[in-house]
Amino acid sequence: MTSYASDPAWADIEPLPQDDGGPHPLAAIAYKDEYSEAMSYLRAVMAKNEMSERVLGLTERIIGMNPAHYTVWLYRSRVLAALSYDLRTELAWLNPTALKHLKNYQIWHHRQTIVDALDSADGEQAFIAGMMEQDAKNYHVWSYRQWLVKRFALWDAGELEIVEAMLQHDVRNNSAWNHRYFLVFGRDDGVVVEQKTIDREIEYAKETIRKAPQNQAPWNYVRGVLRYAKLSPASLKEFAAGFAPVERPEDIKSSHALDLLAEIYAQEQGKSEEAVRVLDLLAEKYDPIRANYWNFRKSQLGSASAAA
Amino acid sequence: MATPQAPSQSPSARLQELLTTSQRIEELSDSEGFEDAMEPASAQAPPSFPKLQMFTSPLRDELVTDSSAIEAETLDDILPFLEDNPYDFELNSFGVPKLQRAQHVAFLRRALGNYPAQFAAMDAARPWLLYWSLQGLTCLGEDVSEYRERVTYTFSAAQHPMGGFGGGHGQLPHLAGSYAAVLSLVIVGGKEAYDMIDRKAMWHYLGNMKQPDGGFTMAPGGEEDVRGAFCAMVILTLLNLPLDLPPTSPAKIKGDETFLTKLPEWISRCQTFEGGIGAAPTNEAHGGYAFCALGCLALIGSPKEMLHKHLDVPALLSWLASRQTQPEGGFQGRTNKLVDGCYSHWVGGCWGIVEAAVQGSNDGVGARLWRREDLVRYILACCQGQKGGLRDKPGKHPDAYHTCYNLAGLSAAQHRYVYDYEKSTGAAAAPLSAAFNWTVADVVEEEGKIWDEDDTVNIIHPVFVVPWGQAEAVRKYFEEKA
Ligand SMILES: [Zn+2]
Repeated sequence: MTSYASDPAWADIEPLPQDDGGPHPLAAIAYKDEYSEAMSYLRAVMAKNEMSERVLGLTERIIGMNPAHYTVWLYRSRVLAALSYDLRTELAWLNPTALKHLKNYQIWHHRQTIVDALDSADGEQAFIAGMMEQDAKNYHVWSYRQWLVKRFALWDAGELEIVEAMLQHDVRNNSAWNHRYFLVFGRDDGVVVEQKTIDREIEYAKETIRKAPQNQAPWNYVRGVLRYAKLSPASLKEFAAGFAPVERPEDIKSSHALDLLAEIYAQEQGKSEEAVRVLDLLAEKYDPIRANYWNFRKSQLGSASAAA
Repeated sequence: MATPQAPSQSPSARLQELLTTSQRIEELSDSEGFEDAMEPASAQAPPSFPKLQMFTSPLRDELVTDSSAIEAETLDDILPFLEDNPYDFELNSFGVPKLQRAQHVAFLRRALGNYPAQFAAMDAARPWLLYWSLQGLTCLGEDVSEYRERVTYTFSAAQHPMGGFGGGHGQLPHLAGSYAAVLSLVIVGGKEAYDMIDRKAMWHYLGNMKQPDGGFTMAPGGEEDVRGAFCAMVILTLLNLPLDLPPTSPAKIKGDETFLTKLPEWISRCQTFEGGIGAAPTNEAHGGYAFCALGCLALIGSPKEMLHKHLDVPALLSWLASRQTQPEGGFQGRTNKLVDGCYSHWVGGCWGIVEAAVQGSNDGVGARLWRREDLVRYILACCQGQKGGLRDKPGKHPDAYHTCYNLAGLSAAQHRYVYDYEKSTGAAAAPLSAAFNWTVADVVEEEGKIWDEDDTVNIIHPVFVVPWGQAEAVRKYFEEKA
């Protein structure tokens, strides 16, 4: 790589070397010359607030050496905006970088800035799908996906189908469950959640629970749906009891079913003995690591705030 | 997780990635063939802590998916450390590996030293390296005052003229870097360290991060999440800055008055249908963000008042309790994710605040809500690296981030934090003084004490995550200066 110092295109810039504050800074990094020099030029152009093509080239080079440098990304965004740079070109450059650094959240934030300015979600869902094939639970990608859905009102643009396919593949992917809840109950476009939608979601969760009753994700989901719809958990009593026949403890299939049963009994008049029995089963046999928590739930029986 | 930097986020991930290159070769050659070389731990363990106390659930679904497959694989890596003592660590009187204090101290002192060129990716996270190392060292009982001068000038280069700290010289200010810098300066303490912070500029910078919806962005034009809210409120509290918004704040321009305007409501919106708390409204519940949210509320008011007012506490309790994995005993960050040593703090640290919120309900102070002993065993048996430093889990390499937060989690398990509601005087109290009413109690054998005196780490402040007394000292300094 040619150095900036010998490049006539940069002759007008006086590089600003790194000030370490003192003779023995802590956690000092012995940068490669190439990196140090590029950063010295970046500091210099930032001090002048220069917005130019050559600064884009400089930020690209630094990102290539250190994609985790938020300053470079943020400054690049500002330059792109100032130059009214072609954002499609920027996205095309960004794609392979994002794939290479999956966990880097600066890249996702940068992407959000660009797509927002582009005012178009074209190709984004497909791009995200590609990323999720490699990491189906990446927090930044899911956050970005939520932002995209809200920003471009993609509520009915195939998102639910994608989530369904992902859950079909892995019923335990809690990020996908969270996205499903967001799509169905988190709409901010004024669409009212109808009773039939609530029924459909409860049915979907039940169906998924049947495939793997010890998977907590759909249990959390269905309880969330009930809370949203202000329905009593008692409506699931029979369903939960199917996976937690208290009379035949050897046939119990799910600690989450027991948990729900305990909650239902706790809210039922005169059923606190049953609740105690279920919580004891959890504490003693089916979920002993949480014995303290189950015992705490016992201690709360009968008090108004007992419903967990 | 990330902390203020959420676990899944860059510095930790970067550090993990980075620390591998140089250390992988060493570690691999050390751990191979340990099974036959070592005497099983059980042979030496006194009967007071028999292996059968390792809880397993009798319930397991047959359906195999990606999540269950990786979980099973991970358990295969972890089990030898729960059942045996592959590194042949000396055991404590409960049959659990002792805290390898000297090795961890050496590891963290090295983490404050110089890094080779391939660590350039840590360039923006240097304030974190300082914070993790200094916090970890003090947790282990080390005196870090020898670093005071170097910490002070290292951060003087990272302080931005417009307020706040970046990762280093010429970098834009960032709330994560500002948080790590302020905490590091608070840990080493002293007038020079305190006075190097440009408080007025910091106040302006924080004002610029405050958004009209109540939350905070991490950087100008950066992402808005609950880390931002927590970091900003920690800094405001410690530096005793005015609660009024500066005139340039985007929230102020929209008519909001103070840093607190709509903030608890915004945090409330981050609680999800699962009961846990996500990075921002509608995001998935996550241990790292949950700690930031609870910490933020506990800065504004007492845990009892704030949590019951702004969160569904029973749902939160249920979610939090679910994060302890069995048989490992450590914490996972999200539903159906893997156990990871850094959540020893992110989730473990939530417990102190939540316990304080339910303290006194029915069964009195000190309700046992989680199993301290299982977390301690996970940390001591599974997360201690063979040559010092602590890690995510067996098979991963120790790094400063996981060392700091495993130790903080160990502290959360070994001490019981109690909120002194007598001391808090409601509306008459000074603003942002709620976090200065904590006291500490010992954890006794019935509460799961499976550690000896020399396995015990120091107490830390349950909200600020700095050594006990240091937060009070800096606050007092700036109160007197006002
Ligand atoms: Zn971790």
